[in-house]
Amino acid sequence: MEARKQVLTELNQTYIACHVCDALWRRPQLGEAERAVCTCCGATLLNYKWRSAQRTVALTMAGLILFMVAVTMPFLHLERAGLFNQISMIDAIGILWLNEMYTLSVASAFLVLVFPLLQLLVFFAVGLLHLLRYPLTYFHTLTLRLTYMIEPWSMAEIFMVGVIVSLVKIGKLASITPGPAFWAMASLIVVLMMATSVHSRDALWEHVRSTK
Amino acid sequence: MISARENNLALCRICHSLTDIPGEKCLVCGGVVHLRDPHSLQKVMAFWVAGVIAFIFGNVFPIMITESLSGSTHSTIIGGVVTLVHHGSYFIALVVFVASIVVPVIKFIVIFFLVVSIKGNWNISNHQRHRVHHAIELIGRWSMIDVFVVAALAALVQLGGIIVIKPGVGISAFALSVALTMISAMHYDSRVIWDAGNDEH
Repeated sequence: MEARKQVLTELNQTYIACHVCDALWRRPQLGEAERAVCTCCGATLLNYKWRSAQRTVALTMAGLILFMVAVTMPFLHLERAGLFNQISMIDAIGILWLNEMYTLSVASAFLVLVFPLLQLLVFFAVGLLHLLRYPLTYFHTLTLRLTYMIEPWSMAEIFMVGVIVSLVKIGKLASITPGPAFWAMASLIVVLMMATSVHSRDALWEHVRSTK
Repeated sequence: MISARENNLALCRICHSLTDIPGEKCLVCGGVVHLRDPHSLQKVMAFWVAGVIAFIFGNVFPIMITESLSGSTHSTIIGGVVTLVHHGSYFIALVVFVASIVVPVIKFIVIFFLVVSIKGNWNISNHQRHRVHHAIELIGRWSMIDVFVVAALAALVQLGGIIVIKPGVGISAFALSVALTMISAMHYDSRVIWDAGNDEH
């Protein structure tokens, strides 16, 4: 097993293949904030972003705080015929569940809350280990792989557009004003997008390979 | 240009590590590494067909049932867009129309075209193929807007009391269609494009 690891380490230190067109290249020695591009297809081979770990940890920390606000605080205030009501994200999912709209309730919960939370938690934890130069265990790499896989299914931003459309549709029935959670969710989307764009997968996997 | 496959080296699609024994589990991230995703195009087409069927059901059946004192109204995806136009919300109507109808239809055509162009060795630049594939992977998820609109409406009107909004069968079929086409596009191994291509090499 050790010999096998040695072979693979040497192989990965010498060569790199393009994930888009499968061209095989000698692995370039890159510093921080440097990027290698495949001359065959133009895809990015390696992208060691500037202070990737630090910025990922900082942004996901902000994201986690915003997430707590977005989930617990009132999302929308409704006023209709003198009656005042407010609804949080958890309430909304609960209402759907209680009214026997199970599929819609579970789907929204996962796509809007669970997946973004998983992204934030894993990026934060793994980013911290990367920052402190700690080796990643099998559990870490497994959750990291899972997080990359669910990335397209994390749909908080699409949900927000959906909410805006539904507000236009319902506009005449009640007067609705956004609550603190609405703005927290809007900021969370921006923070999450920034976190995924400053997060360097290549630097992280390089860290995993070098500490195994 | 030499490809990794010619040297019997396989690249892990998740952590981008190379291995000299294709088919084994990646020692870095734990995923299975293949020279090429086996039966990539078959999987793409299987999910594509399922997605098209679900899309038809999603458009035929009502996605939303509104019950008020004056009776119940069933609305379909197109019906919802028409209502928005009648209310004068042209921009929102356009957003919903593009996300729910235009994007899925373009996606179906593009995926089909990509598979057929590879199978039939059409003379199309690999760069163009890759670019359209990348584009549909990015925009495909936005079709979910309508699902969230129904979810938000159903939850919001419960607080009002006078009218009740329930999701129809159509919305589950539509959500399924979006999910299936997303999975279909994901199964597309871009390296197959370059194997098929006859330019650049």
